[in-house]
Amino acid sequence: MGSDTDTRSREGALHGKDLLASKKSLQDILLVATAFEKTARDFYTALIPRVSKQIRYLVEELAEEEQRHYDLFTELAKSPDINELVHAQVTVPVNDHHFSDYVHMPEIGDAPDDQAILQYALAREHAAMEQYRDLANNTESGPIHDLFEYLAIEETKHKRELEKIYYETVHSGGV
Amino acid sequence: MTDIDYKSRGSILNPLRNLSFLTRKPVTLPLEPREASANYRGFHLNDWEKCIGCSTCQKICDNEAITMIHIPDLPEDPVKGVRARRPAIDYGRCCWCGLCVDICPTASLSLSREYVHTCEEHELDSYFILPDPHGMHKKFYGHGWHKTADEDLIDLERQAMPEQPAEQRLQSFGEFVQGYDMQQAIVEASRCVQCGMCHDSCPAHMNAPEYIRAIWEQDLEEAVRQIYRTNPFAHVCGRVCTRRCEAACSIGVRGEPVAIRWLKRYAMDSVGHERIREIAGEGRGDYLSGGKVAVIGAGPAGLTAAFDLARHGHSVTVYEAQPAAGGMMRYGIPAYRLPYARIDDDVDVIRAMGVDIQYNTHIGRDISMAQLQADNDAVLLAIGLWNGRSTRVPGSDHAQVRSAVELLREITLNESLPVPQSAVVIGGGNTAMDIARSMARLQLEQYGQANITLTALEDADHLLADPVEIRETDEEGITILPGRGPRRCMVDEQGRLVGLETVRVVSLHDEQGRFAPQYDDGDVQMHVADMVIEAIGQQADTSLLSVELTEALEWERGRIKTDAGGRSSVGWLWAAGDVVTGPDVIHAVADGHRVAASIEACLGQERYANG
Repeated sequence: MGSDTDTRSREGALHGKDLLASKKSLQDILLVATAFEKTARDFYTALIPRVSKQIRYLVEELAEEEQRHYDLFTELAKSPDINELVHAQVTVPVNDHHFSDYVHMPEIGDAPDDQAILQYALAREHAAMEQYRDLANNTESGPIHDLFEYLAIEETKHKRELEKIYYETVHSGGV
Repeated sequence: MTDIDYKSRGSILNPLRNLSFLTRKPVTLPLEPREASANYRGFHLNDWEKCIGCSTCQKICDNEAITMIHIPDLPEDPVKGVRARRPAIDYGRCCWCGLCVDICPTASLSLSREYVHTCEEHELDSYFILPDPHGMHKKFYGHGWHKTADEDLIDLERQAMPEQPAEQRLQSFGEFVQGYDMQQAIVEASRCVQCGMCHDSCPAHMNAPEYIRAIWEQDLEEAVRQIYRTNPFAHVCGRVCTRRCEAACSIGVRGEPVAIRWLKRYAMDSVGHERIREIAGEGRGDYLSGGKVAVIGAGPAGLTAAFDLARHGHSVTVYEAQPAAGGMMRYGIPAYRLPYARIDDDVDVIRAMGVDIQYNTHIGRDISMAQLQADNDAVLLAIGLWNGRSTRVPGSDHAQVRSAVELLREITLNESLPVPQSAVVIGGGNTAMDIARSMARLQLEQYGQANITLTALEDADHLLADPVEIRETDEEGITILPGRGPRRCMVDEQGRLVGLETVRVVSLHDEQGRFAPQYDDGDVQMHVADMVIEAIGQQADTSLLSVELTEALEWERGRIKTDAGGRSSVGWLWAAGDVVTGPDVIHAVADGHRVAASIEACLGQERYANG
């Protein structure tokens, strides 16, 4: 798996959609996925000092979660099982709504509130969930299919957790 | 009938007749219980599944034969009206009168048809038993004396509250609940068994059994005195309290709970305002402590704390951004539920304690937090949840999509607001019902007919609003559509809002009970309206805190972190009320007491340290 520097240079050279569409090997897919998580982690980390301390916990938790995802991909890259498969070719769906869109920095304003942050995070998780689900659907049964299935489940769990936080945050205080 | 000859001594041979017993065969009966008559008053049985540990049996027992025993393994939940206690009977005292059975609110107690118990001298404790459903000797002989409708000492039906019919009350914002008369109040008060479950469940621990008894004794000034022991918003809570007390009332297990809120209202409405001021002032300190406290927000939490602190002799100034006191009670609850005059009465009593209220004063704009800190020994932040949350579904940024809390505030301020001919309200809580009903009144006044639809995520059985308000909303002709989630606000080509699109909610919570709505995308409806009103949630506007203070404070998931007494991480600032506990008057009152006690303790320590 390439370094962070490699990933940044790739992202800078190509649109996310083109980038994703052009990648066929498992290695390249994991590269984009890693970049996806890293971008999110960096985005949330940079956002922490920009939001009111009142809602900083939320952004900190999101940054920590994305760091966990990033660590997961980093560990996967080191895995001997994955190393055997990195050159396997995978059919990649081109989908504007999937996480290729979210590799770019989002526009959620200079000082977003908790609801805006959660809406953005939800959209990201949804994109990732759909992306992995499609990848799983496009692969035969076996370790690569299982990998994408696992990642889709992970993203689904995180999205559901965020949905709960969203509703508990927004649909509260009413009498 | 002949008279009895009392002086006759009978035959002299009578004693010899006893000799005939010598020839009879002795009869020996086994020393074990035999089945007694169906209505026999034998040993007690108690169905622990039904029993809530209310202790009503103990209170009615004139022989003091009943002791409530704490059972550690049983659930204890004051909010649900459950105590981890069960009655134990001392058969050295019990006279088997059966009053404990007849009064038992849950009908868990009965008497069995078992009546024999003997023991050796060292087993005398065995006459003190903890009844269960199985019988004294773990053998069930059947139920003897038990509660029937004829013997039940509990009146299961409450006195109906007179109120105007829907078509009449829709004509104005006047109060339509008319209140009990004396006869109704006495009858209703007589239903109370003085168990005290209401006291335990009330966030402010109001002395409801005491004031209900005083009402029953027709000593209404004493009732007011008992009310003011814990609640300076007595008029308000007599009308719009969320009634945790009634949810825990032991009478409510089988019947309708005692109308505790309406009894409080009766007592307060029956005593003159001047006399109430005198009663509320009883016990007030006649000294000045020298302590100075600033309170931000003249809502229930801030004014309750101010009331308590002023009674302790502190100089208290309340800063209120609005032109009148009451906070969300005045600017969030419509006058037909809570007349402004009643809020004024409660506030006047609080001011009579010496509390100064500065109206139209915005902290952060007119006076800085730093200035308040410099001028006072303590500052209490008691702001309400004045900002409405938005769904932020597509189209919700349209000018005709309005916030319910903003509209309710504008109605209270008598501001001219554009009344839509048709409106859809999003939300299933009391705020949603309040704005729907208020808009219906304004529509009738302006157009002669009302057209309001209310959509809520929750299904009909789980709407968040008070059931009474849901019923009244329905009676007033407002269409309530439960189980529908907002998808988008519809805008036509000319940019006009034309309605709200909703989708059916399949389920609202996950298996852990957390909010996780699932929708049926195949069931979409369009609700035509020229205004959409969002009433889904509220949040505090904490912008009055400077950036520096916001950074200095510790926060806990979006709320100011405080200790048990409401003191924040910066020692001079306390926080209370909706901004800490969420929206509810009686919780805010309880919070005001809690924080006032903390401030008083702090100022007391400073006085002691300064000699």
